[in-house]
Amino acid sequence: MNYKITREIIIYSILIIFAIIMIFPFLWMFINSFNTEQNIFKIPPSFIPDKLFKPGMFDNYETVLSQYHFLRYTFNSIFVSFSAAFGQIITCSLAGFAFARMNFKGKNILFGLLLSTMMIPIQVTIIPEFLLMMKLGWLDTYLPLIVPSFLVGSFGTFLLKEFYENVPKDLEDAAVIDGAGPFKLYWSVFLPLGKTPLATLFIIAFMNNWNALLRPILYISSDNLMTLPMALTQFQSQYGARWNLLLTGSFLAVIPLFIVYLFMQRYMVEGITHTGLKG
Amino acid sequence: MPPFSNLRGGFLKKGLKWYRPWHAWVFILPALLGLFVFRLGPIIFAFFMSFTHWDIFSPPDWVGFSNYAEMFSDPTFWTMLKNTFIFSGIYVPSVMVIGLVLAVLVNQKFRGVNTFRAIFFSPVVTSAVAIGLVWGWLLSPKYGLLNNFLQLFNVAGPSWLGDPKWALMSIAFVMTWKMAGYYMILFLAGLQDIPVVLYEASRIDGATPKQTFWHVTLPLLSPTTFFVLIIAIIDSFRNFQIIYTMTRGGPGVSSTTLVYSIYQNAFVFYRMGYASAIAYVLLAIVGGITLANFYLKKRWVKYQS
Repeated sequence: MNYKITREIIIYSILIIFAIIMIFPFLWMFINSFNTEQNIFKIPPSFIPDKLFKPGMFDNYETVLSQYHFLRYTFNSIFVSFSAAFGQIITCSLAGFAFARMNFKGKNILFGLLLSTMMIPIQVTIIPEFLLMMKLGWLDTYLPLIVPSFLVGSFGTFLLKEFYENVPKDLEDAAVIDGAGPFKLYWSVFLPLGKTPLATLFIIAFMNNWNALLRPILYISSDNLMTLPMALTQFQSQYGARWNLLLTGSFLAVIPLFIVYLFMQRYMVEGITHTGLKG
Repeated sequence: MPPFSNLRGGFLKKGLKWYRPWHAWVFILPALLGLFVFRLGPIIFAFFMSFTHWDIFSPPDWVGFSNYAEMFSDPTFWTMLKNTFIFSGIYVPSVMVIGLVLAVLVNQKFRGVNTFRAIFFSPVVTSAVAIGLVWGWLLSPKYGLLNNFLQLFNVAGPSWLGDPKWALMSIAFVMTWKMAGYYMILFLAGLQDIPVVLYEASRIDGATPKQTFWHVTLPLLSPTTFFVLIIAIIDSFRNFQIIYTMTRGGPGVSSTTLVYSIYQNAFVFYRMGYASAIAYVLLAIVGGITLANFYLKKRWVKYQS
């Protein structure tokens, strides 16, 4: 019995140490978002921010949101991530359905190609992509941030193909006997059945697009189109020393996604364990 | 076609034929567009670009193998290649070991286990830019918490991101911190696939928890471990965001890796051709690992159920 208790204490202590290491940077962002510029440069660093529970406690938030347009960047991030994730659902559910339930020439080759390009880092394709966006006249619009993520869906197609393959054949036959064509079958039988993998795909695509940096820094130059991560890097290079504002901005960039994650944790974990890929 | 005209063609054996071939193509059209326009097309195009000098503003010049020749004789390129492998060499084992430790710890039934899982996973969902910024502040030489903490033990911490000896290492540390929870989830899935009966059998045989771990858990986990290894290696090449936020590849080129140098050559120096040549080196490495994965999987992994 005694052995069991000591073992438990040891396990809990290790877990708590790891938890502190994982949480601390977030806590540090949060603490410093209530600091003035003077207090943040104190040596040794103070753990109690000087504005906490005092008038002007939310000054940093006000400055960042209004004066530095973070409200606008948040909107941009939501808009871009939502559109791209929505597109993923359309593209991948359509393709997943066809790959799972239909036979056509070149099916295996195409699916193989789709899977084999999954692992290729974006840096390999980004230069021609950039030139294409330039030719299309899409630079400095939302389009290059949305369209490629909308259409490129190896991970999602794989996820949904697997799911749709496991749908019993009887269900398909029953709908067809009732007179359903391929589009009706997709829309009213398969799409409603796949709510869970679609939610998984949506949340993972949303997260990837929310956190994306390379495309925004290449394609966006107007202030009013910047996404949150890009805005943070811009802010960093312009006002590098204003750490209280920079950390407040970082905290704002982290929080929305964190809330989404807390509510949709199950879907995200399921998606990752299913295929081991983020997208 | 009249309805059910194809019923006779083996309704029970093959099921109903409810679509024409063109239907399938309509369904996969968006995905095909994405595949050809944004993945395969650019891969092929980049190959031709790697034989040109091109600054975007003027038309490209065909220069044959000159980019590759320059690359292989440039010591900077070799430094970047070395950095890439050093980074992977630190990142892959650390993230796997920590991921496995975390997975073993949270693969038990106790109060609050889900909270711990959520905490360990939270850096994974967070923007790498935000993480790079806060760690940059924590690691800053004078005002950073880490060096002030080390000061308590009279240790003078280095300038973690400003010292060429430490910059790459610090980046690898931050990336490990960010991604450990992701590998925890992968290992956790593997651990939960191991039948409970085997643990009971080994307990009845009188094995200590340590013996059980080394002789039951670890061997049975080998398919997962192999899969995770491949994922981790490929993941280690995608470290653009943290480098961009924390060091921009510096000081000098001490924390520049292949992905960062592709970005830098293409969009800072406007050397599209040269950057494409580097991109092809990266592609060759990733392709090689994927192929190795494909062939070695059957040989290395013994305990496939």
